[in-house]
Amino acid sequence: MLEFNNVHKRYAESGEILSGVSFQQARGEMIFLTGHSGAGKSTLLKLIPVMERVSRGQILFEGKPVSRISRHQIPLLRRKLGLIFQDYRLLQDRTIFENVALPLMIAGYSPLDTGRRARAALDKVGLLRKEKRYPLSLSGGEQQRVGIARAIVHKPPMIIADEPTGNLDPELSIEIMNLFKEFNRVGVTILVASHDISLIRHFGCRILQLHQGHLLTES
Amino acid sequence: MPKRTVRRNARRKSAPFAGSVLPGFPWLEKWRDQLALQYSLLSSSAARLWQSPLASTMTVLVIAVAIALPASFHVLLKNIRVTSSHLKASYQVSVFLKPDISNEVGSRLADKLRQQPLIQETRFVTREEGLRELQGYSGFGDALSSLNFNPLPGVIGLTPTASVSTTEALENLTHSLEKLPEVDFVQIDTQWVRKLSAVLAIAERGIWGFSILLAMGVVFSVGNTIRLELENRHEEIVVVQLLGATDGFIRRPFLYSGFWYAIGGGASAWFLVNGLVLLLKAPARELAELYGSPFTLSFLSLEESAFIIGISVLLGVSASYAVVAYQLRKLEPE
Repeated sequence: MLEFNNVHKRYAESGEILSGVSFQQARGEMIFLTGHSGAGKSTLLKLIPVMERVSRGQILFEGKPVSRISRHQIPLLRRKLGLIFQDYRLLQDRTIFENVALPLMIAGYSPLDTGRRARAALDKVGLLRKEKRYPLSLSGGEQQRVGIARAIVHKPPMIIADEPTGNLDPELSIEIMNLFKEFNRVGVTILVASHDISLIRHFGCRILQLHQGHLLTES
Repeated sequence: MPKRTVRRNARRKSAPFAGSVLPGFPWLEKWRDQLALQYSLLSSSAARLWQSPLASTMTVLVIAVAIALPASFHVLLKNIRVTSSHLKASYQVSVFLKPDISNEVGSRLADKLRQQPLIQETRFVTREEGLRELQGYSGFGDALSSLNFNPLPGVIGLTPTASVSTTEALENLTHSLEKLPEVDFVQIDTQWVRKLSAVLAIAERGIWGFSILLAMGVVFSVGNTIRLELENRHEEIVVVQLLGATDGFIRRPFLYSGFWYAIGGGASAWFLVNGLVLLLKAPARELAELYGSPFTLSFLSLEESAFIIGISVLLGVSASYAVVAYQLRKLEPE
């Protein structure tokens, strides 16, 4: 599903953030990516939806190199991914429903389909009754669940989450991670970055550890 | 909140028509969905303009003034041109006869000239009539009567037909008249008409140049407004890009904003220009009546109105397109 081959990422200002990262993720596998802050977790995740370009090396997604795709192909690649962020990145001036429906509108679903699928996604994260609320009126845990609903609404084959529980207390964090585990059980490939090792140990998934841009031995 | 309507529709239709609403016509459904999407974008962009009424009004007014200025000059020029063509049609040509030509010969010549196809009317003024007229009109009465002879030649006043409309045709006629043995010289007052049309030609070019400058003003003004709007919605753009939005999807609401500004500006310009004409119509008619002319100011024609709105929309939408394209380039990944 996903393959990193000797991937380097270097910035002019801050030097080399990732050096020679290589790993493979099978279809339907759930992987945690961990490491101290500044170890390069976010950078690694940003390379997959081409929010940043690789400096050297190669990334294959579904067997195709994403490192060299043109600007016009990027949107189509991103529609195959569900992205989840630490700060949720919800649009504050739109309702919960509208936020979740956004990927469907972008992909050109009919209004009928959009309504049905968005409600199904909201139902899955337990927020169907709050569809008319605005993000700011929701708690942090609820906002992240909206973010997750938005990431899965178009049924992408892969979910990428960057510190999804970074702003949440331990109890809510477990709840969110359990949600991921549930999606994984129905076959979604999941890559989650988290610095909270004690949390992710519970889930029995493969853990990749980044240290100063290098991938340490897998545990 | 356009998506709310979409949602309502979805709910209303969902039960009985689940799945294909129009079986066998998938393209029709696609079109309907597209139409619904475009409509929701159009109305949501209009709603967004309403949210900042002052800024939107300013932009619309800048466009209105920038378009109304050259448009009103154009209307003014058009009206002057119509007037001056009236003047051309009513030329008088004065044919001065040689001093030794008698009144009978002059009168016969006048009758002969009237038979010619290019000449509509002639009027022979005898030497004596000429002298009497001159004594009556000018203050030379005493001076003239102290002369013991009549210094004036006979004159044939001549009106060409409407077919002699160009200066060239008029000059051809003059030359042929001058070749007649009885004729001393021919006078037409074309000089000022020529000067006027030269001035009008310059003014017309000037208006074009001026229009191009003001069109650039429209482009910059819409462009700047759209740029501010883009900056305000920067976060939203980044998010929808991450969700897989194409440039076209992101561009569309801004193109619609540009469209609304331009439509508003073009329509306001139309009202400004026609308002100006309305304001000037009555005094212009009075003035024309003093000169015995049937001239009245005319409003913008249908074609001119369509041109004003069309050019305004073209400028507004292309300015938006350019600004969004430029800003999206800046958001590209490194």
